[in-house]
Amino acid sequence: MDIRELVLQQLRTVFDPELGINVVDLGLIYDLQISDGNIYILMTLTTPGCPLHDSIVGGVKRALEHIDGIRDVKVEVTWNPPWTPERMSEEALRQLGHFS
Amino acid sequence: MIPTNTAYETNIRLPFLFIVFGVIAFAASQTIMLAAGPTIVNGAFRLPTIWAAAHLAMLGFALMVAMGAMYQLVPVAFLTPIWSERLGFVQFFITAAGIALFSASLAFHARAAFFPGLLLVLGIVLFLFQMAMTLRKQAKKNMMTLFVSTALVCLLFTIVFGLTLAFHFWSGTQTMDHLFALKTHILFGVFGWFTLLIIGFSYKMVPMFSLAHGFSMKPARYVYAAYVTGLAVTFVSFWKNHQAAFVAGAGLLFIAFALFVYHISSMLRKRMKKRLDRPFQFALLAIAIALILHGAAFILSFFGDHRKIAIVIYGYLLGWIMLSIIGYLYKIVPFLWWTHRYSKKIGKENVPTLKQMMNENWTAVQCALFTISAIGVTIALDVSNLPLFYIAQGAMTLFSLLFVGTVISVLRK
Repeated sequence: MDIRELVLQQLRTVFDPELGINVVDLGLIYDLQISDGNIYILMTLTTPGCPLHDSIVGGVKRALEHIDGIRDVKVEVTWNPPWTPERMSEEALRQLGHFS
Repeated sequence: MIPTNTAYETNIRLPFLFIVFGVIAFAASQTIMLAAGPTIVNGAFRLPTIWAAAHLAMLGFALMVAMGAMYQLVPVAFLTPIWSERLGFVQFFITAAGIALFSASLAFHARAAFFPGLLLVLGIVLFLFQMAMTLRKQAKKNMMTLFVSTALVCLLFTIVFGLTLAFHFWSGTQTMDHLFALKTHILFGVFGWFTLLIIGFSYKMVPMFSLAHGFSMKPARYVYAAYVTGLAVTFVSFWKNHQAAFVAGAGLLFIAFALFVYHISSMLRKRMKKRLDRPFQFALLAIAIALILHGAAFILSFFGDHRKIAIVIYGYLLGWIMLSIIGYLYKIVPFLWWTHRYSKKIGKENVPTLKQMMNENWTAVQCALFTISAIGVTIALDVSNLPLFYIAQGAMTLFSLLFVGTVISVLRK
């Protein structure tokens, strides 16, 4: 499997525990760069001051650290631009009760 | 895109200590209230056992849970760490001892309540100092800061007037009109401290639990201005013993709360989460109950019927303050325990969602039991019906025991 796909697959195992939706479908991942075994992720959360800040950001880091061939994972959080609901996937919207 | 890594976590033992003490105090208060049935139904509210139960409920439960929730919420909502966690633990033990001794004194020897009252005041002052030191470090102040800061100032006024009342009992002398001190104590404690605090944090929790985005925060400033003016006018009405000012104050508080309801409704219309969690729905129900009771208080203010107003305030304590706290606690307790147990496991192994930490249907049954009991108790007091009071207060006591059990059961997950 392509390393980028593998990373995204791993990121889909990290859920926002309040919403029960993974960080990729929620549209929290702004940027993903992979080079020479180093991963850089720029992400956000649904709101500044999210009580689950440390849990989710730490979870993203932990989910990628054990991938074979990965030496370093750097995760940064930004509020600029702020997250908007338009970033969510159709699956995320379905889980939130849309389309029903 | 500018990276801004900022992380704030409080040692969860601190908020948990406050919350566990709070739910146990709530069960104790409701049991005492059940035993005090005959006197309370006859409208004799100012009796030692009822003071003890009321203070256990308001200080032991509501105040302690509010403090615990603030230790958890302030760092994340205001992006500012707690100034001193060690002070937080010291403050917990002083306040808990103060509340236990103060309530016992009220029940058995009211004149001696002054000294444990001082201990309790010391605990609250330490809390106010802790929060003042924390909030002054907040980089970017917002409307929530204003609501919470004003609530803290009201808490300070509440304890000043509460201590004055305790001093009157202890010394047998009056430093000011006793009834004025009592009314002001209730005004700033119930309508100042608790309501402003719940409104302030609702502005964080309602969008968070409903995933609401793209709403305006402008109405919050009008809510604040109208509500604080209402508090000030009501205070002046007590001070000058002025009936028209009392009507104006009650009217302003009603208008302010109606604006708050409008604002929350506009937020909910922008929500992405279509199916709201049951405990959160009960916290929203509490807002609707408070609006009705603010309206009732405004109408009653024209007639100056103190007994009816006392019953409305009792209903307000149960249906607004307690129900809000209970609704949000069913969200906060699983979150705290989840953070403790699973925060470091996310990304490594499958972890439960917050919803799986507590049986949602069971919490809904409990919230419904509380709501029906609260309505029953309020009606029983209004019509002075002892059998109805025993049934409703019995159901409330049952709820309080189930509530303790549910909170403690989360710790086994």
